[in-house]
Order: sequence, then structure tokens, then C-alpha cells
Amino acid sequence: MSAPPHQALQDALAERRIIIVSGSGGVGKTTTAAALALRAALQGRRVLVCTIDPSRRLATSLGLETLSDRAREMDIRRFGPAEDGRMWAMTLDTKRTFDTLVERHTPDEAARRRILGNRFYKQVSSALAGSHEYMAMEKLLDLSADARFDLVVLDTPPTRHALDFLEAPERLMGFLDTSVLRWFLKPYFVAGRLTLKVATRTGAFFLKLADRVLGLQFLQDLSEFFLAFEGMYGGFKERAAQVHEVLRRDDAGFVLVAGPSALTLDESLYFHRRLVEREMPFVGFVVNRLHPVGEASAGRGPAPDIDDDLGDRLVEVFKDYRRLSKAEMRNVARLENETGVAPVLVPELEGDVHDLDGLDEVGALLVGAAAAPARRGRTRAPSVAAAGRGAAR
Amino acid sequence: MLLDDLLRRRLVILSGKGGVGKSVVGTALALAARDHGKRVLLIEIDTPVSAARFLGANPSAGGETEVLPGLFMVNLDPRTVMDEYVRQTARVDLIARKILENPVYHRFFAAAPGLPELMVLGKIMVLEEERVGWPRRPRFDLLIVDAPATGHGLSFLKVPLAASNAVPVGPVGHNARRILSLLRDPKRTALAVVAIPEEMAVVEAIEFAGSAGKELGIETRALFLNACHERRFTAAQEMEILALAATDVPGRLAPGVPAAAALTAARHHIRRRKLTQFYLKRLKKAVGAPVVPLPFLFDERLTRQSLQALAERLEAA
Repeated sequence: MSAPPHQALQDALAERRIIIVSGSGGVGKTTTAAALALRAALQGRRVLVCTIDPSRRLATSLGLETLSDRAREMDIRRFGPAEDGRMWAMTLDTKRTFDTLVERHTPDEAARRRILGNRFYKQVSSALAGSHEYMAMEKLLDLSADARFDLVVLDTPPTRHALDFLEAPERLMGFLDTSVLRWFLKPYFVAGRLTLKVATRTGAFFLKLADRVLGLQFLQDLSEFFLAFEGMYGGFKERAAQVHEVLRRDDAGFVLVAGPSALTLDESLYFHRRLVEREMPFVGFVVNRLHPVGEASAGRGPAPDIDDDLGDRLVEVFKDYRRLSKAEMRNVARLENETGVAPVLVPELEGDVHDLDGLDEVGALLVGAAAAPARRGRTRAPSVAAAGRGAAR
Repeated sequence: MLLDDLLRRRLVILSGKGGVGKSVVGTALALAARDHGKRVLLIEIDTPVSAARFLGANPSAGGETEVLPGLFMVNLDPRTVMDEYVRQTARVDLIARKILENPVYHRFFAAAPGLPELMVLGKIMVLEEERVGWPRRPRFDLLIVDAPATGHGLSFLKVPLAASNAVPVGPVGHNARRILSLLRDPKRTALAVVAIPEEMAVVEAIEFAGSAGKELGIETRALFLNACHERRFTAAQEMEILALAATDVPGRLAPGVPAAAALTAARHHIRRRKLTQFYLKRLKKAVGAPVVPLPFLFDERLTRQSLQALAERLEAA
């Protein structure tokens, strides 16, 4: 805990095998994940960065048109990576991951077809909210066993409560726990027609109600779904337990990303508390997008030759920035006070980050390798390349 | 103009990536609607911190609360909405209690994909349909929905479509189709997308507006570009600042204002302003709907005044 903030990140990049980047939406999580991955690759590791965000933000970050769920290698040679440092990127295809999971755990072709063709399954496994988190976990397990990579950096979905992600395996298990649900729903399937012979009166009530609101067809789909999953439950449960184990390993670690506003920092605080409670490995906080105000000690020497109007406007803008910056630093101080951990602070850059050069710059800031945020005077965002990409979408 | 167009509807849904300030825009829009004499309900969904705090109101749990005369707010918690639905459907207290206490119900609700969204949208439909008094008139003239920023883009709005496919018969399927037709009815519903002048937020807004139209048949009526850096220097001054900022400038501009620091802040502002211009253009080109820029607020804390200022900007749009 006493290690300087940059050092904690630096160590994690050198030693850990899984880094999970978490935080609320809009705080620069994806950029941070990709920048960390690039940094680690430049230091000689074989890194995969995986985003599970269906809006394909990483693709934007990496300046790629499409990113698929197959790991694709980035060309990072011009950054001069150490030794055999390499970097891959991919996005998670929720539906395909779910299908693969089903294929792996079904006993035979018929069972597989029954599930993959089930109407309920089709809805559950495609883009509906919730499935992303389940499948992110599943994919993580796969990737952590992939010999090609010695570090996997996982960007997480911007869930309202970042915790949804941690709890995904448990919720999936709760949902698929057929021993209970089957008890309610099996009669439908077995009889192939409406039967309400269930063991308890509550069960009967539940069925009646379910039938009233959901309709028989849906219940049949649903019970078929659960019956089909029956044989897979053991396999699923095992996977979920493994995910749990992986997340707690010493060589895994969470990086919590926030913005400088009180609201997103509050969420980070909460998430941190939960990580500690669950004995999950924590690496550090990153606070992105702090507004710059320069150094307070400056200002000696003769006054500059600037006309009054410009001078007044400059003072006005400066005061706006300073007010904002002070509020931001107060928020950051609170995070530090309450957790005893100093966050890594990343100033808001003057341009957008949407290519490897930008990621390189952010990566350097994250590990404390660069002092000045605007060392290359980035004003390139409104560039031809960016405009071209926009038009292609 | 744009405001009139939005206020003519019954339902305005604000969508956008997390962190773009949807709740700020939603509150400003609600204030603007109220200034037009509308009884307006701002609907938040499972928000940990309600926008009511901007108005100095206490975010109360459960039920629609009048935070200012004519301005109501409610925070819909999917779980509570679901429980309420079970109670209504079961009719008999005892049965409802048995179900609500059943662990299967809890697990099912916690994991069933789409169910929370469907419940919330159903509740919104009920609120839209609510009539009071005699002759009957809508309880609320306008409902503004601060849609959850799940980053799953369309998924919130997609749920009724998915549900009506998954549950072809029965009341749930029926209701899902009713919700869908409310969302698709351009006379009653307007979709507005919120973004900030940043690559990812803008790309997402464009994609969102596109797929809402293509996949769901819901047309985007407005695009709010929030947190815009607006021009504060003349073009000549900007050039001068950029030139000066590249050198070492000594001295102070005012007590406590070092020239170098002021120039750094100004340069940051100028670059952000240029980005703002760039993204405004890009949005206008990519989206058919009107694009409304809203200023970046340097306020330490958002207050009713800052929101009222935004409301006036909406008025002028």
C-alpha cells in the first residue's frame, strides 16, 4: 500500500498475468486498458487486451476498422518493444462465446441443437443486457489458459454498478440452478401439455401466475431450455468456480478507473470496498481527465506584454480552470484519505486518444514515465484519418 | 423550435454513453418544459444518485415526487417495479407474498436478461397512460426518461422487441408489443441522443442514432452535444496564445495568476474548442436530426442556476 501509485501499476504490468480494468461508464476505461496493454508489450510481455464492449470502443482506440473475437496482433514495432514484446487485441462476441460454452458442455449433437435452437436461448444469449458480463467471465477463463499470452488485460462492460461484473458467475449459477427451477417447470415439459401437478402449493401458485403472465408457449420454451441445460449444469458450475478462483489469484489484479468528479470517485470507492471485502487482488486507482492548471510557484519576473483585453480573458479562463481543478483535487484527496491509496493521476489530454500513438502517450503517463502531458503538442484529433474513419462508419 | 418539437410529444427518451451528462441534460430539459407550463415527470432508472440533488431537492424513494411546482421526479428501481407488478397480477395478497418471498423468484429476477428493462418500460407506459380528473386528462403532459447508460447501446430499447419475439403469446408478449408501439410512435415518442465532443462518445451517438432507426424503427429527433467548449478568444488572440504558450512566459497577469499557467489553461481550452467544432460538424454530417451544443460548465457544483442556464440554451436552440 505504501508503494508510489505509478510503481504499483508498473509492477502489475511486469508481474501479473490478468489485469481487469473496471469503473463506471465514460471514465476512459477502454483507453486505460489498451494503454496498459501497450505499455506491457513494449516492456517485453506478450499481451492481449480484450474489450467486452459491444460498441467496439477499443477498435476506435486502436484506430482499427473492425476488431473481431479472434485475437489480432497489432503492429507495435515502430515503438521499439523490448525483446519478444507483442500485443494482440480482440473484442468479445457474447453470442458466440455462449454458443461455444454450450457446445463444450452438451453431451451430444441433439442436445446441442435443442439448446441452440431454443427461442428463449436465442434471446438470452444475444445482445440482451446481462449476458455480456457472464460471457466476459467465461472468456477470461479461456484466455487465461491461452499459452500465446502471458498477460491478459480485460476491459469490463460499463455496468451501472461495476459489481455486476464480479457477481456475474454467481447470478448465472443462480439462474441456471435447475434443481429448483426444474421443480416448477418440469411438469410442462414432461406432459407436453398443461399440467399443474407440482409438489407444493406455492409451486402451483407460481405456475398459475407464470402461465397467466407469460403464456404457455413461453413456459414450454423456458422449461425446455432448463431441461436442456440440466446435463450442462455441472460443467457450468465448474467453470463458474474456476472463474472465481482465477479472479482471486495473486497474479490477477483489478485496476479501478474513475474520472475526477465526485460521482465517479464515489463509485470507485464503493467498488474498492467490495473488492477488499471479497479478498480480490487490487492493484490501484487511476483518475483520468484532471484539468491542468500549471504550477503555482511560477509567475516570477516582469509581466508579459499582453494587451488588456487578452489579459482579462486569459485571467477569466484561468480562474475557471483553477476552480474546477481545485474541486477535482478535493475529490481525489477524499479517495486517498478513505482508502489509504494514492491514485495515479492522468491529466486530460488536449486531443483525443484514438490510435497507438495516443495510447503510448497515455501508457507513459500511467506508469509515470512522462512528465508533460502535451509533450508532442497533440492537436491531431481533427485529422484526415479521423474524419475518414468517421465517414466509413 | 427544437424544444417545441420535443415538447409536443408525450415521451422524450434520452440516450447516450455513460459520463456524457444525460441526467444534467434531462434536468435542464425538464426545467425548460416546466417553463412552458407543462406538468413534467423526469424518470430516472435505478440511479444511485438522483438528479434531484441539482435542484436542491431530496431524492425520495418510491413514487413521483414534485420537486418544483409542475416538475416531478421518480427513480424507478426495476426490482420494486417488478414486485409491484407481481402484487397486482396475483391479486391475492397471500399468493403475492408467497411468490415475493420465494428464492426462485429472487434468483430468476436477478438473472433473467431483459426482465428489469421490460418491467421499467412497462411502468413508463403505465405512467404515460395515466389519466386524472374529469374530463380525463393526462396526469403528466411530458415524461422525460433518463435511459440507463449501460453502454450496451440499444439494449434497453431493444428489450420490448426481443420480449415480443421470445414470448409470442400471453400478457407479457402483449405488453411488450404495446410498449414497442409507444416507442415507435413518432407522435408520442421522441428519442434524443446525448454526447460530448469526444471521439468515442460521438462515434457511439452516431451508431446509436443509426441503429435505433434501422433496427427498432425509432427515429432520433435531436442530438445534444454536451460540455462544448465555446469560443472565448478572438481568432487573432487564439493564434497569439498558441504562439506564447510555446515559449517560456514569465510574470503574472493578475495577483495569483501566473502568465504561464494561464496560457496553459488557455491552450487547453483552445484545443478543446477546436475539437468541439470538429465533432459538431461531424455529428451534423452524420445525423439527420438537429444538433444542439450545450456549454461545458466550470461550476464547482451543479446548482439549479447552472441548469436553468442550460434550459435557456435549449429554449434558444
